[in-house]
Amino acid sequence: MPESSAPDTGEVPDLDLVRRSQDGDTRAFDVLVTRYRGRVYAMTYQMIQNETEAWDLAQEAFIKAWKALPKFKGDSAFYTWLYRITHNVTYDWLRKKKIRSDGEFDDSRTEHQVAAGALAVPRGDAAPDAALRNSELGAQIAAAIDQLSDDHKEVVLLREVQGLSYEEIAESMECSMGTVMSRLFYARKKLQELLKDTYENAA
Amino acid sequence: MKTPPEDHDLIRWLDGEMNDAERAAFETRLNADSQLKAEAESMQKLGERLRSSLPKDRPMPHADFFNSQIQVRIAQMELDEERSSARASSASWTEWFRLPWLAAAAAVVVAMVAIVSRPDSRVAASDVTQVLSTYAPNPDVVVRGYEDADAHATVLMLDGLPDLPADQKIVGYDVHGSRADKAMASVTLLGSDGQPLVVLAKDSRDQPRVWDLTTRG
Repeated sequence: MPESSAPDTGEVPDLDLVRRSQDGDTRAFDVLVTRYRGRVYAMTYQMIQNETEAWDLAQEAFIKAWKALPKFKGDSAFYTWLYRITHNVTYDWLRKKKIRSDGEFDDSRTEHQVAAGALAVPRGDAAPDAALRNSELGAQIAAAIDQLSDDHKEVVLLREVQGLSYEEIAESMECSMGTVMSRLFYARKKLQELLKDTYENAA
Repeated sequence: MKTPPEDHDLIRWLDGEMNDAERAAFETRLNADSQLKAEAESMQKLGERLRSSLPKDRPMPHADFFNSQIQVRIAQMELDEERSSARASSASWTEWFRLPWLAAAAAVVVAMVAIVSRPDSRVAASDVTQVLSTYAPNPDVVVRGYEDADAHATVLMLDGLPDLPADQKIVGYDVHGSRADKAMASVTLLGSDGQPLVVLAKDSRDQPRVWDLTTRG
């Protein structure tokens, strides 16, 4: 069973860091960034399958989180709230990408907000995760997930990979618990179908 | 999207979202329904494979640069906000004194208007000066002020002013900027060369005062 909890760092609790960040302490926010960047980046990457764009989206999520921090009341866990922001950032990007691919815009470049004076944003390869490359099964699973709709893909990732509870997923995706369950059911059914051959070969 | 409740039960059982009683009841069903049991086992296996194949954490390339870029962007945003609020504050006072008929009113000294810039979100959003109170030494003069959102301006209405003689010299100010002194609770309007023109403040009785520096010396 996946765990639904913040990383146990044995360090300062999220809420303390959030309160300090809300008071303008950017170093406290930096600790939160370090604590959650891997999970946010995993989500954005698994959603869009592109390292460069996923890196930018993860950064955008943290910037938006900083801006929205005054509104964070602590009613939910910080990472659940952060996932909701990540969800919104990712879906905005997917919408824009869809519009571009529909031919409404010629400019296919993603907008980047780069600090003045920065020479360039480092760019990684757009290759799939190395661990997945080394695993045929992993590659097949990643390919199958990529065939799901965005909603089904995200609900599976939030549940199976990130280990969020239904309630947390509903909050992150801004939908009802019933919708979460329905999406999870159909996403799993679809994955079973897509991975049928993989199962049989692995058996 | 509607899913039959029995499918919800299967999903909730798989994900450990059932209480003890629900789980016991569902497991009784599972044992009695071989098709449902096979479906449940298949989905369990799928979940295990997903979790073992996809990382919960993904190493961030250029992680230090990632963090430092966020810090830089936060610093830039805060700087932009400071500049923006400074511009808004300056513009509000400047706009007030650029109203031509207000210059005439100042020349004949018939009314004083207490205008306070409050750094609240409403003022910042409308980018105009908010009139909190008015005062006219001449009881025949009625001073009204309001924000005109469409015109993006603060409008002051002075009713009951005596007609100006045709040869009356109208004094105006060519304001190019302003300087706020929080400690003194005053604002100094500056001319084209940065020279002080007018000081807006309150006197010892908390009454609004205007000191016209252009007529001195």
